[in-house]
Amino acid sequence: MAVGMHGDPSTGTGRSAPAPRSGDGPADGSRNGLPVGLDDLARVSGRIRDAIETVVEGKPRAVRLALTVLLAEGHLLIEDVPGVGKTMLAKALARSVDCSVRRVQFTPDLLPSDITGVSAYNQERREFEFKPGPVFANIVVGDEINRASPKTQSALLECMEERQVTVDGTTYPLERPFMVIATQNPVEMEGTYPLPEAQRDRFTARISMGYPDPAAELEMLDAHGEANPLDDLEPVAHASDVRALIEVVRRQHVAASVRQYAIDLVTATRNHPELRLGASPRATLHLVRAARAYAALDDRDYVLPDDVQELAVPVLAHRLLPTAEAQVERRRPEHVLTELVHRLPVPSPRG
Amino acid sequence: MRIRMTVMAGLATLAGSIGLYPLFMGGQWFWHALGAVVAVAAGAVVARRLRIPAALEPLGPAVALLLYCTLVFTAGRALVGIVPTPSSLAGLRDLISDGASTANRYAAPVPDERGIHLLVTIGVGAVATVVDLLAVRLRRAAPAGLPLLAMYSVPAAIREHGVNWLAFGLGAAGFLALLMADARESVGGWGRMVFSQRWHEESPGDRDAPDISSLATTGRRIGVTAVAVAVLLPMAVPGIHPRGVFGGKGTGPGGDGARTVTTPDPMVSLSRQLTNPDDGVVLTYETDDAEPPDYLRLYALDRFDGDRWTYSVASRAQDKLTDASLPAPPGLTVAPSRTVTTRVKVSKDLRDLQFLPMPYAPTRVRIKGEWRVHSPSLMVYSLRDGAGGKSFTVTSRRALPSPGDLQAGGTYTSDMLSEFTYLPKSVPDKVRRLAVQVTKGSRTPYESAVKLQSWFTQTGGFRYDLTVGTPEHGSDLVDFLTVDKRGYCEQFAAAMAVMARELGVPARVSVGYTAGKAVSPGRWEVRGRDAHAWPELYFDGAGWVRFEPTPSGTEGQGTATEPSYSLAGGGSGSGGSDTSNPQPLPSSSAGPGGRPTGGAHFRNDLPGAGGTAAPAPKKHKSGPGYAPWVAGGTLLVLLLAAAPAVRALTRRRRWSAALEPPPGPETARPGPDDPRGPRPRGAADAAHAAWRELRADAIDHGVPWPSSETPRATVRRLDDLLGLDDPAASALRRIARAEELARYAPVDRTPPPADLLRADVRTMRSAFASSATATARWRARLLPASTVAEARDAARVASERTARVTGRAEHTLARLVTRVRALLPTRSD
Repeated sequence: MAVGMHGDPSTGTGRSAPAPRSGDGPADGSRNGLPVGLDDLARVSGRIRDAIETVVEGKPRAVRLALTVLLAEGHLLIEDVPGVGKTMLAKALARSVDCSVRRVQFTPDLLPSDITGVSAYNQERREFEFKPGPVFANIVVGDEINRASPKTQSALLECMEERQVTVDGTTYPLERPFMVIATQNPVEMEGTYPLPEAQRDRFTARISMGYPDPAAELEMLDAHGEANPLDDLEPVAHASDVRALIEVVRRQHVAASVRQYAIDLVTATRNHPELRLGASPRATLHLVRAARAYAALDDRDYVLPDDVQELAVPVLAHRLLPTAEAQVERRRPEHVLTELVHRLPVPSPRG
Repeated sequence: MRIRMTVMAGLATLAGSIGLYPLFMGGQWFWHALGAVVAVAAGAVVARRLRIPAALEPLGPAVALLLYCTLVFTAGRALVGIVPTPSSLAGLRDLISDGASTANRYAAPVPDERGIHLLVTIGVGAVATVVDLLAVRLRRAAPAGLPLLAMYSVPAAIREHGVNWLAFGLGAAGFLALLMADARESVGGWGRMVFSQRWHEESPGDRDAPDISSLATTGRRIGVTAVAVAVLLPMAVPGIHPRGVFGGKGTGPGGDGARTVTTPDPMVSLSRQLTNPDDGVVLTYETDDAEPPDYLRLYALDRFDGDRWTYSVASRAQDKLTDASLPAPPGLTVAPSRTVTTRVKVSKDLRDLQFLPMPYAPTRVRIKGEWRVHSPSLMVYSLRDGAGGKSFTVTSRRALPSPGDLQAGGTYTSDMLSEFTYLPKSVPDKVRRLAVQVTKGSRTPYESAVKLQSWFTQTGGFRYDLTVGTPEHGSDLVDFLTVDKRGYCEQFAAAMAVMARELGVPARVSVGYTAGKAVSPGRWEVRGRDAHAWPELYFDGAGWVRFEPTPSGTEGQGTATEPSYSLAGGGSGSGGSDTSNPQPLPSSSAGPGGRPTGGAHFRNDLPGAGGTAAPAPKKHKSGPGYAPWVAGGTLLVLLLAAAPAVRALTRRRRWSAALEPPPGPETARPGPDDPRGPRPRGAADAAHAAWRELRADAIDHGVPWPSSETPRATVRRLDDLLGLDDPAASALRRIARAEELARYAPVDRTPPPADLLRADVRTMRSAFASSATATARWRARLLPASTVAEARDAARVASERTARVTGRAEHTLARLVTRVRALLPTRSD
């Protein structure tokens, strides 16, 4: 069975236990050793960002979005052509947080049980025993997710949304934080199965890396020439720190008018003539959650329509289906969304 | 469903035909219209069943209409009462020509007659056929409005009062219902609508039908608004409807339960009689008057509508002649008069004559039947009886004023002036100039009148010509006066009366007969050719006095006579010495011998003339030429000042609302965005005020302000656009941040105080101004665009509120309908 499932040798599966803290621990200035306020959040997230950026050069926006998704308790889909550092970003994020990480290489013959785990017969105890699959981790890196068949992709459905796995009638909860970072090649590439709509809808955001600019590429050549920078990456935050940060994000203030704006935006995608499928209510939820995290990363304790606007494309675009006409005209959902953002009135008091 | 559309088309035609009501006297015609519509609809349905091609389809309704007409009008002569025979067709033809002649003879409203009914049936049937063809067969409901509109325009064109707004509304509603039904059909043809907002709220039973409720609601709103605008707008626009849209209440006939007296149009019957080759005897009379006796008057036309002279008599019950005596003639007080008794016998052939031909001014009339008198003009008429074949005795007072009496009679009360010198504005100025020019040098109304008469009969170069058509428009009158100079008594009388009114002399046009020819001493005979029209002018003390501008004798109206007083320097008022000499004395000898009447209300616009103290001109002409310029200039200045003033006011209101000391915490209202608790009112308001001011300033200076922009985005854009220096940029950032906090932050965050923000806004305003071009700067000061935007916003808010209210009303109505339906017994389908 050519299962590409393995614990990443450097992060290791065994590191789910609290790891030794790195030098400037995340605990300073916080209650119970955990970050509780915006300034803590800024500090911790800043450290994570810096750590990732030692590996992924010249992509501050992608890094920021990845962090946003992490803090918004969401899942991240990184889509781009091969070789632009998708997996690098995923792994860098995974390694900079001190928590359990599993990596699944999706291949066409991967089976659902290869992801969720199997019940195996234990000869000694003469009973079935559940062998947890790679989803039992804090961060699951699913590489080339659209190389697997839709059946296997769908194995992720339950765990992504409900953070639990049900095998043979028994439900096993997943540890928090739980984040799936999947990479995929554009659907036009050969040998890919497009993700089903239900699966896409579960990813909070889809980002693409894009080619680095020449200077960043040059720097990358230098850095990667000597050694794999990932090897030097040390965890800078603990899983419990992340949990605390998530709590901070949950407390972010979202004004009623901003919530309304998010709803307006999502509703507009449902009524748009060029879209066959608009965004779901779950999309609204994800949008507001991500906006909370985005605002927190901006050191703000309230959400602005700007945040919603920034996140509209990454959070909504992969959920929309253009109509046949729009496809013929090469109008992508991203274009439609950008246009909607430019058109939709921002909520303001009184008219 | 074709049947539904057929029914709707019929209803629309019927509703449109309601607008015809001013044309008819009774309500009978409506049932015929209904019958015609039903017949046409039935014919159309049958034709469609037989699958006749569209081009031939009108045949079906036409046949049905013919059958219907035969059944209703000539059943007796038809086969089995319905199949047309040559004799029944001939009957129909006769009825049509009857109807046509009635329609020609009478001014609207025409009496209820069978001929008229047949015409109504055919006319409405034709409209119904076209509407049905367009709306049902060709599925073009919108153009079907054209025949409906044509039907509506008939009464609107004929009646000066137009059509009642209610009738118009009904017609419009009918057409809208037709459009709605058509749209429903075509939308229904497409099946279910997927992206409707409310389809899932519909009850399961309605799922099969496509949901068009929101569309329909919008449609209904648009329709109702359109009709309301169509009804209300003309009231606000001057000139479209001078008497107001609800005319008929005040000036029009029919007020206080009175009934309008209808007669054949006097002018029309006049010209017909004059040109009729059959010059029969109309009436004969015996009189004890000296020769020649006075004219016999039928009508006094005292209104000039800009095109023609008309009259209007609103008949009331108390006008009935109970004893023979009539009210005293108006104005006849000091001038000498003679009592004349005339016994008139009207020919039997004179049908439909509801007015009595009598010499002016009648004081007693003895006649059988129910007769009424119109007190102001002393016209005697009947609503039921005709004068044809009747004999009656009339006693009248014939005024015999001397020129001196008339010279002195040029003082008028303001009532008199307002009623009898009124001219609509449409009368061209040319007529007034001409009148002034012709009467140059005269100092009293009497002198003017004499000059006018002699101008018409001698010096003006007019020619009597019966071949000229009846004048229909005001322009015909001007043509007659200035270019053509050919006409018959109607043109002469109308023109002189108008010119007299222009000069401020009360005038009207009388229609009737000349004295005719004496057949034996004291016995006179009046023929059709003696029909005549003449102007009467009012002089205080003498009352209404006849003038004669129509040339007389063989070259003119054969039996016309010029009264002696109208020939200046002529008779001494001894009456009866009038001459039928076609060459009267030259009037040029009439020097300004009359004594000037001080303070006369006689309008003469010649400088230095005695009449310059005239009262306010009746035609609302502005006297001196600069007044309109002054008024216009003031208006322009006001308009120019209005926009900046509004802008300044808005600014002050915004800041004063924001700066007003925040009320106590218990009265502080909760922030609109925040359910968690009250937001300190002042700070947030100040931020909003600052932001709106910034927006207004930007718009004033022509900087766009898209509504999809957040405060931050605005800051970025303005910074790029204006190239702000540091203080301005930070001011801008402070304003935006304050607004952001006020809008989106939790309540415990306080934006900066108002006066700081105000200073920042001022900084930004000068930044806007310095980056704008000079033109834009001035426009921002003089015509701030933001006021327009504000007005638009206000209008939008108002319309949204209206929509909400109407929506609620519709909802209530719908619920009511549902309830009523629930109460009704269920149909057993």
